[in-house]
Amino acid sequence: MAMFSKILVANRGEIAVRVLQTLQAMGIATVAVYSDPDANAPHVALADEAYSLVGSTAEETYLDRGKIIELALQCGAEAVHPGYGFLAENPAFSSDCAAAGLVFIGPSPETIELLGDKIRSKEAAVGAGVPVVPSSATWLPGDSPPDALVAQIDLPLLVKAAAGGGGRGMRIVERAEDLAQALESASREASSAFGDGRVFLERYIPAARHVEFQVLADSSGKTLHLLERECSVQRRYQKVVEETPSPALKNDELRHSMAASAVAMAQSAGYTNVGTVEFLVDAQTSEYYFLEMNARIQVEHPITEETLKLDMVEWQTRIAAGELITLSQDDIQSTGHALECRIYAEDPYSNFAPSVGRLLSWRPPSGMGIRLDSGVAEGQEITAYYDSMLAKLVAWGPDRQSAIGRMLRALETFPVLGVTTNIPFLLRALAHPEFVSGDYDTGFIAKHPDLTATPDSGQLQAAAVEIAEGFWQANGSNTARRETGAAQDTLGPWQGLSKSVFP
Amino acid sequence: MTTRRLQQVQPPQADSEAVVFDGSFDVVVSSPGRWEGKVSLADGRTVSFLAQRAGQEVHLWIAGESYVFIPPTPVARSQRAGQAASDDIVCPVPGVVIAVHVAADDVVEAGQDLVIIESMKTEQIVKSPRQGTVQRVSVQEGDRVDRGMRLVVLVPLSEE
Repeated sequence: MAMFSKILVANRGEIAVRVLQTLQAMGIATVAVYSDPDANAPHVALADEAYSLVGSTAEETYLDRGKIIELALQCGAEAVHPGYGFLAENPAFSSDCAAAGLVFIGPSPETIELLGDKIRSKEAAVGAGVPVVPSSATWLPGDSPPDALVAQIDLPLLVKAAAGGGGRGMRIVERAEDLAQALESASREASSAFGDGRVFLERYIPAARHVEFQVLADSSGKTLHLLERECSVQRRYQKVVEETPSPALKNDELRHSMAASAVAMAQSAGYTNVGTVEFLVDAQTSEYYFLEMNARIQVEHPITEETLKLDMVEWQTRIAAGELITLSQDDIQSTGHALECRIYAEDPYSNFAPSVGRLLSWRPPSGMGIRLDSGVAEGQEITAYYDSMLAKLVAWGPDRQSAIGRMLRALETFPVLGVTTNIPFLLRALAHPEFVSGDYDTGFIAKHPDLTATPDSGQLQAAAVEIAEGFWQANGSNTARRETGAAQDTLGPWQGLSKSVFP
Repeated sequence: MTTRRLQQVQPPQADSEAVVFDGSFDVVVSSPGRWEGKVSLADGRTVSFLAQRAGQEVHLWIAGESYVFIPPTPVARSQRAGQAASDDIVCPVPGVVIAVHVAADDVVEAGQDLVIIESMKTEQIVKSPRQGTVQRVSVQEGDRVDRGMRLVVLVPLSEE
């Protein structure tokens, strides 16, 4: 099969830019699609051709399967790259593409469907001999009381949605008397989020680490693992900082057995293309358990690229074009250490509340080992329509300590104005002794309120006030009085930031 | 110290007068509405800053932290003077109203959920800042809302 000559990228933001860059480097013609608010976004300017999806919400645009397929056919694209999120793990989109004669760059619809169901994917893992967290049968409102389920799982336990993802429909239950209510509310949330109210109980592992293995599989069934990524720094069950190698895998024996499990899981799911097998590792016992397998390119893939010196999007494209993997497992040798920080438009001092506005200043840092995968540009309006990730800052160093040092320096020299970001939080998190020790788990952010506490009045605060006063005197005070009346409308919104109104 | 012309609105700051600035700063690059420079802090550190004007706001980046200042206004002053002056519960983020948990005449407790907004794929629960009676609800499910828009009007509990 020949390489594609034209590919449509059905996504936005940093991943659209990331994919377009590789496709262009491969000499493939590129097509972008965009919503109304994204008309001036960098991915639109970067692609050779760009077409409007007409509309603003995700449902009207990046989730509209019909519109995207129609545009792909009209412009003569041969394949569609879904990125992550939106339609990336939608089996109907994958099969619609096939029916329209387009190659979907990802696994088969059957594989996507299997892995999207937490119950079925867990059964597949058990079948492949991969350890799983003990869990119960599913429960729906109206079913018999959950006493029988609790007997199978010790407290504390997790209530999880069968169709779940992103922490929706998930509850931690520590006392038996709280279970009934947790089941009801988790089921309600799952039902509204996924249209499937089935929930189940799972053993809760308090000091857990989230470690995932990247896999690479071709259509002949050849499956390699591309080592692990540590993703235990999370807020609201979403990753914020990732690194590789994982400090949790203190010996290669554990690493090798998890890698073998990841490959076995991928093979049992009939997986082709790049995918990720997520595990929980019990920090106390070093036992590991299968969590789920993600049928897409992962947000945090750049840290694997930096330590293995390979291009994952290029491999996705080559595998989708029918090429076989020419690498062997022995070729996969990691060099140094890489970290990723997700730059979110959110306020670390207000429980990570989303922030929107115009990016007045966006000056990405540079330097040895620094990479920024970004989907925004200075002057761009950041809207509430899509998720809050602006960019991913990646630092590579010959060892963990130097990678952390490079990341801290890059974060310190990254001026972003106009939109509040989590950079102050990232600076504190990476400098925190517990993170530096490598001995942290998924409870890291919750355990350390100092990471998200409002900054104390100090010299920095005092300097900020002094500079702002001086700046206003030179740059604003003359016009300030004249505009006071008109200013009320623009000032009004700031009242919303008052802590008492939004605890 | 001279009279303050600006009020800090981001990050939230309980008392910004607590520490007196004991260092110096240099503006290295100055263009209309923008300053870039360096600050020497009392602890010996030298850090960079970038200040930019946007309408009536001063946006300042300094050593990884971002600040927003505005000139004080009658509205802002009454906010500062005490919560009793304002009974409007305003929207903290732009987005879409996905649930309204109260209706006019409801008595609410401090911390009670009032409205849920979805913004950037995240649910934001707007809670009641204090005990009171709901005088009116200004939004309904499905409404698109902006930051600062009034959601609910609260009045103190009638004394009986």
